[in-house]
Amino acid sequence: MPKLSVEGLKVTYGPIVGTEGVGFTIDEGETVALIGSNGAGKSSTLKAILGMVTYEGRVTYGGEDLKGLKPSKVMRKGIGFSPEGRRVFPQLSVLDNLRVGGISRPQAELPERIERIYGYFPRLKERHSQAAGSLSGGEQQMLAIGRALMSKPSLIMLDEPSLGLAPVIVERIGEVLTEIQKTEGLSVLLAEQNATWALSLSKRAVILDLGRIRMTGDAEKLLDDPEVRRAYLGI
Amino acid sequence: MTQATKITGGVLAAVVLVVWPWLTDDRFLHHVGVLIMLTAIGASSLHLIIRTGHVSLCHAAFMAFGAYGSVLTVMSLGLPFPVGLLVGTGAAALLAATIGPIVLRLTGKYFVLITFLFGEVVRMAIVENVALTGGSNGIFNVPPPHPIFLDTKAYYYLALAFAAFAVGLCARILGSEFGRAMNAIRDGERLAECSGVPVIRFKVIVFIIACALAGMQGSLMAHYNKVLSPENFSGIISLNLVVMNVIGGMSSLWGALIGAVFMVMLPELLRGYVNIQHIIFGAILFATMAFMPGGIIQAARHVKAMLSAKPDAPAPPLARTGAAE
Repeated sequence: MPKLSVEGLKVTYGPIVGTEGVGFTIDEGETVALIGSNGAGKSSTLKAILGMVTYEGRVTYGGEDLKGLKPSKVMRKGIGFSPEGRRVFPQLSVLDNLRVGGISRPQAELPERIERIYGYFPRLKERHSQAAGSLSGGEQQMLAIGRALMSKPSLIMLDEPSLGLAPVIVERIGEVLTEIQKTEGLSVLLAEQNATWALSLSKRAVILDLGRIRMTGDAEKLLDDPEVRRAYLGI
Repeated sequence: MTQATKITGGVLAAVVLVVWPWLTDDRFLHHVGVLIMLTAIGASSLHLIIRTGHVSLCHAAFMAFGAYGSVLTVMSLGLPFPVGLLVGTGAAALLAATIGPIVLRLTGKYFVLITFLFGEVVRMAIVENVALTGGSNGIFNVPPPHPIFLDTKAYYYLALAFAAFAVGLCARILGSEFGRAMNAIRDGERLAECSGVPVIRFKVIVFIIACALAGMQGSLMAHYNKVLSPENFSGIISLNLVVMNVIGGMSSLWGALIGAVFMVMLPELLRGYVNIQHIIFGAILFATMAFMPGGIIQAARHVKAMLSAKPDAPAPPLARTGAAE
């Protein structure tokens, strides 16, 4: 049985359609990329899964229907989320950002969890007492991912983690993601515009266009597909 | 600050607060002391709500519930003061639990507006409900909690005890994991919700605690003043509590306390200039918001940092950190 299953997802904002007829599954420990340009419906899909917007269709996680649950409940089911634009709590320290991320866990677990995240991102440890708003873009992205990992999720959803970051930082984040996935056995849903990077990290991918699924399949095959190469990889 | 200096400072402050009334026989100073202590309860409890990112303009309405609830319990039902205090505090908490889940879904200016209107509705309800509240004339001859508290100095210690309780409770909350979640809510409600903070539930809990404390202040104020009228609970009173937080600094509980001391003492210092008092008030508020948006507490921290910094090290930015307390 797939870990996460999305069927016939439709999100509308008044007359505007965010996504329509989107469906896919993620297995345990698998990375799936959700690829598309601006307005393709990536964020709408993630927001629907998390319960931040109302939707038609069905989202189940571990067999459980998520409809009607608030985001704070959904993430307690084991879904971590790092929103678009590397959102952090700017006035809170790095350490406090992580602690808030772990609010759903028993207090006693937090120190071990925080050390583990410092292990993935040593830069965060160096800056632990600094206000998160004063970090660089790459560091904020690391913090956003670290915060999402604090709740010990079994699925982590990342919305555009590469956006606006230097290529070398993007590479680094990719390496760490692979490492984290290995050690924690995580499933990852990676929403990205940077198709080459996202496909290189994933097993399967869903390509969205104007709110609908354009293509879906193995990441390796999609990387070789001429249409994909022309439309999304700029080759 | 090291732990040792903190403890020394705390003990010193406690000694000063307990001993000073004995150093003067000036009843007026004792009176100002009572007002500061009682106002500190309102200002610090409002600070809790502000720390979740909401500026409430109806704190006085909850004071009114506390005051009328307490006074009516004591005067109409003939029950002792502690029961009145509990009834008043409970009534304020109940009201907060009723309206909180509704109004706390609003944010920013909409929350400010609706709380302002709610405050006015409560005040009008008191004015109109003459049979119960005495309407605009209010209620006279409110008995003190106990005959010994007819002495202002004695009442000061009663007020000090309750203020210590209220401020201690607020500090305890802000210093806990719960307080960290409150800061997260202020920094980004949706992000906090996605990080697992049940935002509405936390905000309602904070609102109930804060408004219950406001009710407690209302009760203590009414039994101190011995009279009670709807004008004691107008929008201006709520606004003043907000101003205390702004002037003192909204990033820390100390800001609310400094603001309370400042705003209670200022009118007394300006007694010679009653006619232009509000202009001076306005100018101070304006200057604070324009030149020290972090309030007195932030300006003080900045000065301290400049003094302790090494000559060649740059001073830390003036931005609110919010991490402290």
